[in-house]
Amino acid sequence: MISDIGSKHIELLPEMVPCLIAFLKDETPAVARQAITTGTSLFGYVLEKLVIQGLYSSEIDDSTKSSWAWMLKFKDAVLHIAVQSGSDGVRLLAVKFVETLVLLYTPDPYISADPPQEPVYGLGFNISWLRGGHPSLNVGELAMEASQSLGLLLDHLRSPQVKSLSNSIIIVLIKSLSAIAMKRPSFYGRILPVLLGLDPAISIVKGVEVPGAHHALKTAFVACLECTHSSAEPWRARLVEALKAINDSELVGQATNKNSGGVSISNEESLPLKDDNSSMQACDEASSDLVRKRPLAELNNDLLQDDSFSGKRIRQSTHTVQDLPNEPLQVTADQESNSVPVVGSVSSKDKSSGPVQQLVAMFGALVAQGEKAAGSLEILISSISSDLLAEVVMANMQHLPPTCPKTDKDDVASETGYSSCLASSVLPSIQSSPLISDIHSLSSLSPLLASLLNIQPSMSHDVAKSHQSSEEKATDTVETTLLSSSVGDGSAMMPVTLPASVSPFPVVTENGSSAVSLSLNSATEERVIPGVDSPSSIDEIQESHDASHSSNPEVNDSSQDHATSLGSLVPSNVLSTCSMATDVSETQSTGVGIFDTSQASSTASLVTSCQYVLPKMMILDVNLTDEAKDQLQKVAFVRILDAYRQVAISGGLDAHCSLLAHLGIEFPLELDSWGLLQKHVLSDYMDHEGHELTLRILYRLYRETEQDQDFLSSRTAISIYETFLLAVAESLRDTFPATDKSLGRLLAEVPYLSEGVLKLLEGLCCPDRSEKHEKDFQSGDRVTQGLSAVWNLILLRPSSRARCLLIALQSAVHSAEEVRMKAIRLVANKLFPMPGISQKIEEFAHDKLHSVIDDVPAIEDMDADESTSGLQEDSKLGKPSSSRGQQSDNALKSSTHLDQNVMSSLISEAQRCMSLYFALCTKKRSLLREIFTIYKNISKAAKEAVHRQIPILVRTVGSSPELLAIISDPPTGSEDLLMQVLHTLTDGIVPSQDLISSVKKLYHSRMKDADVLIPVLPFLTKDEIFPIFPHLVNLPIEKFQGALSRVLQGSPKTGPCLTPAEVLIAIHGIDPVKDGMPLKKVIDACSACFEQRKVFTQQVLAKVLNQLVEQIPLPLLFMRTVLQAIVIFPSLVDFVMEILLRLISKQIWKYPKLWVGFLKCVTQTMPQSFSVVLQLPAAQLENALNKHPVLRPPLVEHASQPNIRSSLPRSTQVVLGLVQDLQASSQGQTSQSQAADTGSSTADVATELTQESSAVS
Amino acid sequence: MGAKVRYAMVCSSNQNRSMEAHALLKRHGFDVSSYGTGAHVKLPGPSLREPNVYDFGTPYKLMHDELRRKDPDLYKRNGILPMLKRNLGVKNAPQRWQDNAADGCFDVVVTFEEKVFNIVIEDLSNRKQVLIRSVLIINLEVKDNHEEAATGGKLALELCQEIESADCWEDAIDDIVAAFERQHKRKLLYTISFY
Repeated sequence: MISDIGSKHIELLPEMVPCLIAFLKDETPAVARQAITTGTSLFGYVLEKLVIQGLYSSEIDDSTKSSWAWMLKFKDAVLHIAVQSGSDGVRLLAVKFVETLVLLYTPDPYISADPPQEPVYGLGFNISWLRGGHPSLNVGELAMEASQSLGLLLDHLRSPQVKSLSNSIIIVLIKSLSAIAMKRPSFYGRILPVLLGLDPAISIVKGVEVPGAHHALKTAFVACLECTHSSAEPWRARLVEALKAINDSELVGQATNKNSGGVSISNEESLPLKDDNSSMQACDEASSDLVRKRPLAELNNDLLQDDSFSGKRIRQSTHTVQDLPNEPLQVTADQESNSVPVVGSVSSKDKSSGPVQQLVAMFGALVAQGEKAAGSLEILISSISSDLLAEVVMANMQHLPPTCPKTDKDDVASETGYSSCLASSVLPSIQSSPLISDIHSLSSLSPLLASLLNIQPSMSHDVAKSHQSSEEKATDTVETTLLSSSVGDGSAMMPVTLPASVSPFPVVTENGSSAVSLSLNSATEERVIPGVDSPSSIDEIQESHDASHSSNPEVNDSSQDHATSLGSLVPSNVLSTCSMATDVSETQSTGVGIFDTSQASSTASLVTSCQYVLPKMMILDVNLTDEAKDQLQKVAFVRILDAYRQVAISGGLDAHCSLLAHLGIEFPLELDSWGLLQKHVLSDYMDHEGHELTLRILYRLYRETEQDQDFLSSRTAISIYETFLLAVAESLRDTFPATDKSLGRLLAEVPYLSEGVLKLLEGLCCPDRSEKHEKDFQSGDRVTQGLSAVWNLILLRPSSRARCLLIALQSAVHSAEEVRMKAIRLVANKLFPMPGISQKIEEFAHDKLHSVIDDVPAIEDMDADESTSGLQEDSKLGKPSSSRGQQSDNALKSSTHLDQNVMSSLISEAQRCMSLYFALCTKKRSLLREIFTIYKNISKAAKEAVHRQIPILVRTVGSSPELLAIISDPPTGSEDLLMQVLHTLTDGIVPSQDLISSVKKLYHSRMKDADVLIPVLPFLTKDEIFPIFPHLVNLPIEKFQGALSRVLQGSPKTGPCLTPAEVLIAIHGIDPVKDGMPLKKVIDACSACFEQRKVFTQQVLAKVLNQLVEQIPLPLLFMRTVLQAIVIFPSLVDFVMEILLRLISKQIWKYPKLWVGFLKCVTQTMPQSFSVVLQLPAAQLENALNKHPVLRPPLVEHASQPNIRSSLPRSTQVVLGLVQDLQASSQGQTSQSQAADTGSSTADVATELTQESSAVS
Repeated sequence: MGAKVRYAMVCSSNQNRSMEAHALLKRHGFDVSSYGTGAHVKLPGPSLREPNVYDFGTPYKLMHDELRRKDPDLYKRNGILPMLKRNLGVKNAPQRWQDNAADGCFDVVVTFEEKVFNIVIEDLSNRKQVLIRSVLIINLEVKDNHEEAATGGKLALELCQEIESADCWEDAIDDIVAAFERQHKRKLLYTISFY
């Protein structure tokens, strides 16, 4: 706003500027900034007005004067700001103001120093106009002031001030200064030393944070370099050095970041570099000498524009001659963009292209100054590392006009023009074959040639073969020009080899070579050009030449053109090893020389890949339809592929591989070069050459994707890469047996793995069921193959590790058990121990394990629903099954019967999810607990699965401390599992003392369930068993039986811990009341014992009874046991009778319960028991007979036998009715007493009964 | 800062990276424009040698329709169609940086490639610097593919938010850049030019 008004009404300025100055001090940066901005434009405006007014009239009006005065004040204020430390935002603008000031105050060399005739405002002005005199301004003073202001800025950048500046200020300062330097080159001398000195200072001060400043500095240097003003020149060398330093540090940074891909190529690359180094230094000087002798004007023409110019020119001329917009353009573009290598660009080169390009430009500029710059040139050369120098030279060569060895291949049988063309696509190799023979003799002259020849023989070998195979007779006209120029004092021999094969265009050749020789003449003192003509059908060539010559005058022109430029370039570019080749292949049928640019690129790529420092082929092309070109390319490509086989035999593979890879890239996609390559690769894979080739191709593609920031090409390259890799991988999979390692090797070595390949791998590792059926016989091996590949990848490719791991893990939960087991072995044995990924594996397994909780029951519920709808009975059985433990197992079994399929699939599903975790448990035992923890939450199917798997696991783990810890403190709900573990642990082996004590601990602390003790029972001592025996008896009968057998069996070492007799006695020792258990249990336990007749034999029973009968009081179940014993072993009757007799002596009738049993026993053991019964006192006898009337008749009969009767006491006889009435009174007495007895005994019975009932309840 | 900060996102074709950032910043209410520095707008074609080349100013819609007609499968698969669709929702057509003088001054220019960064700097220094308005140019290296562009867009947004929140970016830029580099392990390159 103010600025607008100010510029229109200058008279108002005196009032406005104070305001601006006040604003400068405003707290808000934005206000101050705006003030500076406004002030700056006003300043320029006022100054301009002042100048112009002063120029055209000697009077200046007052308003302008006062405005100017104010503007000067404003200037001072701003200068102050620029120096002070304050808001960066404001300072930036202040610096900018100073820049403007300096620029305004100093003469602009780019604008005419003479003022225009008419006063024109707003078009800019030049302070130098003032030289003529000005009423109020003095040029000298202004210059002084400008210089001071500049000094102000410069001071800032000098250390130590620079340390206190922020990056942004530094950047702006640098930019301002470089702008000043460029616009006012006279200040170079002041500005550049500071800038040059700045670099190290900054890097020291700011450490890591300087890329911005660095970049600005670099840009500034480059900009300064580009400046052509004379006063800039002395500084070039130093600028170059500084740039180099900057770039070096950047390179170092890049190198560390650099992907290791493409290493092989860059290694090869370094070779020729070194070769060149030795001679390079000397050559350089020599060349500069040469150059100096040439007229400056010409040099300026050619060199100032950089070498690429001449190359470009030729391209363009070729372009006009021929109607091929695409390909020449592409090449030209490559040159324009100054990327060093055209096709075979190598990563190391890519990086260095920046500095190299700058150096090249520098050399050009220095040389352009001729003698003047000789000094600095020398400095420059000596300061540059030999490596860099070599690169510069090589970079320069890229810009050489491609003069090519001309070979014509006149196919004798050529009816189509294509075949000859395609022959020339193999051209570089073919060419070299005759060349080598020629050069060979001269090779002693050229140390460099030797290095070339190292590679070439193989090439020629190949070529010879391909010649034969194609049965072509090639007529080659070769002229090898060997330039050997010795320069300087003569001690340095500079061999310049210039093998150039000559085309059938003699005129062209003449033009070219004469031009070459001409230019060389002017440059060198000694030169040898031996021409070697190989036998050829000259007539034919001549003829064809005529035809094409007439039709293509332009071709000649352009070759001439380019020949001259070659001439000018040869010396300046230090062509110690420049073999130039021009390829002109001529087609008879059309009579037109055909040059295929794509061939050019292919040959060029071969050249680069072979590491010859060769220029590109200069190739002319004549109208070809697109289809024809495509066809040509394709045929050529196939030929190269064919040739590959021969190459493979003869060696020289390296070059060929690279060639093919490059070709693949260069070819248009629709030609399906990939398809061809792929076929080829596979056909050759057996010899392991395909692998190499594939890798090269992939790396080539990879580089394409990586280096190309360009969206489209990188995308395309990526897709080609992925398709190719996938195709190769697939065909490897399908063509080779599963045991073949090729696939794994390929995957391990390719630049990166695409998603497609990973999917393929996944498919291998986790085959679909359907797929599996197809090739069942080998799927197992396939899985092994896939898994081993995955393992390799995990080991070798950290970047794909996660993905590969996932594949392995997926495979480890595969539904097919075979696959799963393989994968689990891999994961658990190989991968799990790897520290980096074990955590992931563990998490995965853990998740899977937990998925059982969520997934499997869901399925089960569904199934339950199904079965409910199907069979009502089912659901009835199914419902209680939800309860845990033994019952659920039973239910499980029943439901398994009903739909076994569903169940088994559920189980296997659970197993699928859990096996991995189980496998991991063997490696990391702390994981074990988790199984126990989740056990209570998982479905029965899952439990079943756990039960199936746990024995294996437990056996592997053994009674490790972790497991013992779990045993002594198991998670709730895991009892069943725990039991199984215990069983497993004790199955067939002696459990460790630790285990036993853990179990005991568990029993005492947590679970009062004697269940847990069963497994270790055999290993307990007698003393330990007795206290728990009641609990054992209290168990469900099945378990008790188990426990019983264990106890009886005992451990192998110590033998049975209890004898059967001891067991029975122990059982009888149980007091249902005291031990709090139903009598029924004890009875059952007894029965259980009796069932085992082999163990509890007659003798055992007898022994037991013998002991029991001695106990006081008698065991409750004694009589029952006696009865049982008789039932089981009738032969025991006699023994039992003895027992009964002893009972009588113990007054058995005093134990009402036993008495009942006693009576029962005697009843059963009739008639043997008669003698016992008769031993009873009369009262008891009567009682017995009353209770068991059946006893009476046989007993009476028995007692009536005279011998027995005589031994009977009278009372007994009375009871039996053998003695009638005689002793009624005594009988009554006895019966009375007996009645009293019975009365008391009945009372006993009553009490006992109540006791019993209470116990039962 | 009194006035609203004006942002420009610049990549080479004004299709992928700059548009991703443009869309994102726009959604977050920034005053943002986007440009490309290339000579043409290039989109992947059926092969490496057959890109689809358009002039700047060709509406996204037109490209979208044309490519969909050509090979809907291919362009959908390589993400070009979705990208164009996104773009045409953001603005009409790709714009070229070098021709943007009429769009006024920007305060912050974010480039996504060093080449582009350099082009922008050079272009700015070639313009007449009459306004003396500073402009911050930051380069955030982002590879030209969809995934990276998405990350790059987010980073650019974050960066712009940082700048926006600063009272005066000239003062804060060093800290912002340092913090950003530390946080994202990405190198930033910045410079300051003038309009």
